[in-house]
Amino acid sequence: MTSDYCILVVEDEHTLRRLLEYRLSKQYEVITAANGEEALERIEERIPDLIISDIMMPRMDGFALQNAVQSQKETSAVPFIFLTAKADEQSRLKGMRTGVDDYITKPFDIEQLLTRVERLLERTKVFRTQLDGKIGQDFSRRLMPKNLPDVEDYRILFQNKPKEHGGGDLFDWIKADDGSYLFTIGDVMGKGLQAKFYAFSFLGYVRSTVHTMLSSTRSPAEIITRVNQMLMDDQVMEETFASLLLMRWEPEENRVTYANAGHCRPLLVGQDGADVVEYSDMILGLDPQAVFTDTAITLPENSALVAYTDGLSEQVLVTEQMAGEEGILAAAQHSFREEDPIDSMLKSILLKSKNPEFGDDILVFWLQRTGLNWFAPFAG
Amino acid sequence: MQVTTMTFTVEPCNQDTVIVRIGKALDFRNAAEFKSTCQTQVRSGARNFILDFSETGILDSTGLGSIFSLYRQVSPLEGQVVFAAVSRPVQVVVQLTRTYKVFRQFPSVDAAKEALV
Repeated sequence: MTSDYCILVVEDEHTLRRLLEYRLSKQYEVITAANGEEALERIEERIPDLIISDIMMPRMDGFALQNAVQSQKETSAVPFIFLTAKADEQSRLKGMRTGVDDYITKPFDIEQLLTRVERLLERTKVFRTQLDGKIGQDFSRRLMPKNLPDVEDYRILFQNKPKEHGGGDLFDWIKADDGSYLFTIGDVMGKGLQAKFYAFSFLGYVRSTVHTMLSSTRSPAEIITRVNQMLMDDQVMEETFASLLLMRWEPEENRVTYANAGHCRPLLVGQDGADVVEYSDMILGLDPQAVFTDTAITLPENSALVAYTDGLSEQVLVTEQMAGEEGILAAAQHSFREEDPIDSMLKSILLKSKNPEFGDDILVFWLQRTGLNWFAPFAG
Repeated sequence: MQVTTMTFTVEPCNQDTVIVRIGKALDFRNAAEFKSTCQTQVRSGARNFILDFSETGILDSTGLGSIFSLYRQVSPLEGQVVFAAVSRPVQVVVQLTRTYKVFRQFPSVDAAKEALV
């Protein structure tokens, strides 16, 4: 069985080159070159995962090749193994600090070479996976705020479990000069590390639009309309689709005015039941002429407005069905009186899930008006 | 002539209209494949896409995103993307994202063909 790895063998001696090609091609894809110049041509066509190179070769020797590979950003991380025959070459090699991962003395044991190749490829793979994960985590942190507003008679909770690889959830809030708050919840479609990058750029758009427009408008719909137009006009963000829920909260009035661009519809949960906050408009990035509308709701005492992203509703249950709006509605209702309602919601959905963990980014925002009758039964 | 890829069957109606059978699922596992299948069709002249959802049980946001990409691609060419025989799970996603405003829906593939061809 051959793996996906591609190895470049650079050796001027025909027999040895063929032998290496033969042995390595049992496990890997192999490309060959007879000297450094040829090797660079091969690399131009395809960047290998590992290079095995002789030192003494006509036209361009191994040292020059290694230098060239090292100086190119795309290839500088490719593991490099030297095949060396002479003692003086070995001493030069020992002096080289960077870029050479291993060297093997001719005549060499092919099994030993194979072991070293395997080990180097394994090391590279581990390193890459860790790096991807680190970048993902870094983006994730930047897509979420570090704290939440603290307002009397209200309880505000938030939970976010980002996946390292993939997921484009975002959340942000800002306090306006008039004492109102603006909450942004969104999801950029698509998987992989790229989704994180686009979510990050998209959040940049939203933030700057909010900052610019907040002094002149009180309407989330106006802000969303502008974001949609920018998204459609931008070349770099082409083919980016995002759902966005923008909510303006006036604590003094117990009022939330929102515009919803194709995002999971929020829920209004109370002691006696839970309802979907129905009105929403089209997702962003599809139609430059899309129209968005504001809707105002008043939060009754002892009620919570709950917003979330599709990682929750698309969670696959044991029934092979997605949890869906109904599933979230039931979980929120069931969790209303819990000390940590979000935690309880997530647990109750996981209990019914096919897999013991969530398959996507998870984000839940809980804005509860506690009111006069509210007491904290679990506090103390 | 029918072209069958791993999960998508494409059936030409006329010069610029094709039917794409979506199958059981369009999600993060096969969205890239759907994209490339459609791209090939666009390159060979297709403008109108009838998506047959009659067997589809799963459409997630990545899958929907790939349909959006197709829409963005063909709408400048005066093309259309229409949904045929929309199943309940697909209907839910279309409702939530409010995208029924851009994707016309037909009760069956035949009805869509009649309207487009």
